[in-house]
Amino acid sequence: MISYDPKTSVHTGSRLKISVPMASLLGFFVLATVSWASILLDGDSGFSDLFDSGTWSNVWDFIGQLFGRGLDRTPAFLDLSSWREALRLSLDTLAMSVVAIGFAAIAVLLTFLPAARNVAFGELSGNRSLVGAAAFHVMRGVFVFTRGVPELLWAMLIVFVLSPGILPGALALGLHNYGLLGKLSAEVVEDIDPRPARALRAAGASNLQMLLYGVLPQVLPQFLTYMLYRWEVIIRTTIVVGFVAAGGLGREFRLSMSWFQYDKVMLLLMCYLLLVLGVDLIAAWLRRLAR
Amino acid sequence: MESSPRANFLEGRSLLTLVLVAAVGLSLVSVDWGGGLIHPGGMASAGRIFGSIFTPELSPNFLRIALDATWKTLTFAVAGVTLAVALGLPLGVVASGVLFREGRIRTISIVSARFLLAFLRSIHELVWAWLFVVAIGLSPMAAILALALPYSGILGRLYADFLNDVPQHPLAALRTSGASEFEVLAYGRVPMALPDMLSYTFYRFECGVRSAAILSFVGIQGLGYQIQLSLNDLIYDQVWTLMFFLVAVIVVSDVWSSFVRRNLTR
Repeated sequence: MISYDPKTSVHTGSRLKISVPMASLLGFFVLATVSWASILLDGDSGFSDLFDSGTWSNVWDFIGQLFGRGLDRTPAFLDLSSWREALRLSLDTLAMSVVAIGFAAIAVLLTFLPAARNVAFGELSGNRSLVGAAAFHVMRGVFVFTRGVPELLWAMLIVFVLSPGILPGALALGLHNYGLLGKLSAEVVEDIDPRPARALRAAGASNLQMLLYGVLPQVLPQFLTYMLYRWEVIIRTTIVVGFVAAGGLGREFRLSMSWFQYDKVMLLLMCYLLLVLGVDLIAAWLRRLAR
Repeated sequence: MESSPRANFLEGRSLLTLVLVAAVGLSLVSVDWGGGLIHPGGMASAGRIFGSIFTPELSPNFLRIALDATWKTLTFAVAGVTLAVALGLPLGVVASGVLFREGRIRTISIVSARFLLAFLRSIHELVWAWLFVVAIGLSPMAAILALALPYSGILGRLYADFLNDVPQHPLAALRTSGASEFEVLAYGRVPMALPDMLSYTFYRFECGVRSAAILSFVGIQGLGYQIQLSLNDLIYDQVWTLMFFLVAVIVVSDVWSSFVRRNLTR
């Protein structure tokens, strides 16, 4: 923490640095007030329903049905064959998440370099070029666009082209995470220590050699951390992408919801939670391996 | 970091590489690459969809619809995040265990709060939204609650970590001058953890805008809902207009939040 010194603040502008978060905070409070006001004053906000006994009896009904109340057969989450089917779908979903992060990782590894400021503007390699600057803006634009569009919307677009299944879901997840990982990875490269690369350059290394021995060793561990973190997020999102891409747990979830088979919804939610937990554990194990 | 010149083959990073390559390989095998991967006529519709990028619908009427949907999405995001902070802060304080110095109550409260937070954040907001729509009906409240629950799980967990990770010496100084654990929290931990907490909350706000847009999938008003309507009618020009609005509102919140974060954590 830098201590506040009124004498130097004029020159360094640190007075500004203190007031920016305050102004943003104030702005956020105003935005929050306006938002809540516009929602609550809209009439059909559903806020008053929260204090209505009818709503609550609905809620309890729904929860009861989730746990299989009033069913004339064995609830799905107590039935062995339903479990077997659901676990098979879980494996599909797991495969979707791995393919997704695989696609994103390969694409990022192929394209992160021009998006880093220090590479694009020649601070590392020592030669500036217009091509580098143009590639920088193009790649950053691609990253912004691909991550700006949520996974679900990518999936909705992709199923117009690809047949439903694991692949369109994985592609949609991969595209969104490509933009995210691309931005994060480029920022990692911007923060590296330039000295190894410069030393290599001084010793006559080619651009490729600088990349292999000066840049990659520094950035790969951080890349891996980000990828594992995104994988944990992706596994939570697979179910959502499955709603439209018709792969894995998401499709079954959607069907069971539309047929009011809430006991099956419960089973799928259990599998989903198991998957999330499992992936968190595997990612933690892989992180330990990387250390 | 020490590195032995010749590590065993199945150890650490070599094993990691092997696992990663095998995982991606196995998953690629499990995808059905056979015929029928692309719809009959899929390429044609791809051409139509992506050709429309350059001819977005810009009539004043439609722009008004798009603006209205953007505003709705933004208000849901802001309302959801504020509610998430309100829920996540007390849960985070309990989960950090800073209110008690030791004892069984401390362990029980930490474990149960952390378990609750993990459960809340494990389920994706869209799944929450669907459950809420069935339970309490199709209304803005369903969207706000669906955003607030998983986000409070994420925020609460991080608040707990931030509150735990503050430097310990100032806290010890407060304790020796007779402060209770609550006073240590209020005058020691919170002021020190606040920049990190605020900065992460702003980051979640940025994510919230994105999430609010897709909550529309279950029928809640907003950008995603309009996109779905236009997609169903195969009016791709409108889809891209709405997409640009979506990317714009996300980029603006992204820039705002990273600006705030840069200023907070420096």
